[in-house]
Amino acid sequence: MIRHLFKLIWNRKKSNFLLITEIFFCFLVLFGVLSFIVYNVRNYSKPLGFKHDNVWLLTMRPPTDSTAQNRQIMEQVIQRVRTFPQVEHASFTSSNAPFAFSQMNNHFSFGNAKSIDADVYEVQDEYKDVMQLNVIKGRWFSTNDNAAGHEPIVINKAFQQHMFGSEEALGKIIQVDDTTKFQVVGVTDYFRAGSEFAAEDPAVFTRINLQKNLNYISNEMLIRVKPGTGIDFEEKMMKEIAGIGKDWALEVATLEKMRQNKAKVTLVPMIALGLVCGFLILNVALGLFGVLWYNISRRNGEIGLRRALGAPSGQIYRQFIGEVLVLATFGLLFGVLFAVQFPLLQVFQVESEVYFTALAGAVVLIYLLTTICALYPSRQAAAIHPAVALHEE
Amino acid sequence: MITLSNIEKVYQTKTIETVALQNVNLTVPKGEFLSIMGPSGCGKSTLLNIMGLLDIPSSGMVTIDGQPIQTYKDKELAHIRNQKIGFVFQSYHLVNDLSVLDNVELPLLYRSSISGSERTKRAKAALEKVGLSARTQHFPSQLSGGQRQRVAIARALVGQPEIILADEPTGNLDSVMGEEIMNILLDLNRLDGTTIVMVTHDENMALKTERLVRFFDGQQVSDAKLFATFQQV
Ligand SMILES: Nc1ncnc2c1ncn2[C@@H]1O[C@H](COP(=O)(O)OP(=O)(O)O)[C@@H](O)[C@H]1O
Ligand SMILES: [Mg+2]
Repeated sequence: MIRHLFKLIWNRKKSNFLLITEIFFCFLVLFGVLSFIVYNVRNYSKPLGFKHDNVWLLTMRPPTDSTAQNRQIMEQVIQRVRTFPQVEHASFTSSNAPFAFSQMNNHFSFGNAKSIDADVYEVQDEYKDVMQLNVIKGRWFSTNDNAAGHEPIVINKAFQQHMFGSEEALGKIIQVDDTTKFQVVGVTDYFRAGSEFAAEDPAVFTRINLQKNLNYISNEMLIRVKPGTGIDFEEKMMKEIAGIGKDWALEVATLEKMRQNKAKVTLVPMIALGLVCGFLILNVALGLFGVLWYNISRRNGEIGLRRALGAPSGQIYRQFIGEVLVLATFGLLFGVLFAVQFPLLQVFQVESEVYFTALAGAVVLIYLLTTICALYPSRQAAAIHPAVALHEE
Repeated sequence: MITLSNIEKVYQTKTIETVALQNVNLTVPKGEFLSIMGPSGCGKSTLLNIMGLLDIPSSGMVTIDGQPIQTYKDKELAHIRNQKIGFVFQSYHLVNDLSVLDNVELPLLYRSSISGSERTKRAKAALEKVGLSARTQHFPSQLSGGQRQRVAIARALVGQPEIILADEPTGNLDSVMGEEIMNILLDLNRLDGTTIVMVTHDENMALKTERLVRFFDGQQVSDAKLFATFQQV
């Protein structure tokens, strides 16, 4: 019977061409949107590698350009912040704090062999405790590093994999341009600070050495407060800081709030795309439904004939559902041929599994969609009375 | 053998009620070639549909080989149609998107016990019988009316049914082609012993058969054995 259905569809390929094309395009759109969603969901499901609850970001912008004075106030502020009993840890950071709308990256090379781009986070020794990073190999920065020969650098797991593969990373010298050399002292677990939907990209931490770099100015400070610390403390802290840095522009945000804002950047287009895709599919479904309905009314005679030749009504039902599935199979055949090029040719730097998951999902959805569209028309076809269908004047 | 007793068929639409058949009692013994005549709209097709289990009478009883069928479900009726009955229609009712061979194979498709190669073998044999061996890969649109009807007959006989019901099989054909079709049916009846019930408007065709029943306004008006004539053919 399946061969019979393929034959029927094949012999009607001209009139079925439009339907097959429609299914083909519907599949491609679904594949695209699903790839995007799967990509984001997969990223989302990976650990961030840090804990952002109870962490605040303090932004402070000096009113003048006087480096020496600003630097002095900056240090006073962090000293004061650290003395509050509600504060557990505090660290200066480059402007790319977790979930911030700011990025900083650089090109790192290892000998002549390999070079990759990585996000760079300039942080103080306390950063590890503020963000509760998990160092899985080697160590985090310490005051001993003040005297180190090479600048110490801590890399994340992704950096290790991309740059060194299975080779030992600890002790290796990597450099930016030809001048600055860093020695790898530690490897952290995951670190995805851009957003919850960020890919697991290579990242490194470099050390803010206030003793050595006297002109260093940071405008951002990450503060871990005790659980349950609220707005009262925030007001009190801000008042005190305002007393130290007069006329400084101060601002505090919780990382939780920043996380929500950052998530919207991905969620909004994802939902919008999902909606557009949904409408598109609804359209295709209605079109499909209409065509199937029309086809069945055109094939009344054939239905009557098949019933006369011994097809029970259930068989007619299955035939029409089967035909639609065969149609879908033709459309999918072309669609899959096209879609597998993405993982095969590595069109974007996305893991193949993302594409294959999306591909499987799109195939299942297309079959589901076409079956649903076929259910009612097929039932109508099965209900046609053979004597009426064969009636001729 | 088909037996109809006290058959009545009433078509009920919203506005009108049509009595298509009334008080029909008819027995078609095994191996008989029966022709049915009557003016248009007198219920001939309705009668054939009831005999062929495509329609159920409003009242009365139908038995096939002694089995009353009114208790049968759709699936069982379909099975009997598939096993015992072949249909031939005035307008052939071929599936245009299937080749001649595939069209002839159709009834066998609804018999799960027959393999694909066996289907093809039997369909080719049936086409041979109607003289269309050379046209198996053609499509219906590439055939003349007479050839199409021969395909339809091949399809009706491929499952070796006991009964063939033909509703004006020559109605759309000229007299030469009609003659051809008639000869095939006569051969089927005489050589294979197939019971045939044929509706026709052509007196000459009817006279070649064994028995002629005339209908008028849904009722049987005459029933005549044409045995002598039949012998001469
Ligand atoms: N499905 C139907 N619904 C309503 N009336 C019908 C239907 N089929 C046939 N009829 C009516 O029943 C009568 C007999 O029709 P039919 O058996 O087709 O006649 P014949 O084949 O002798 O020309 C006609 O009056 C016809 O209009
Ligand atoms: Mg008729």
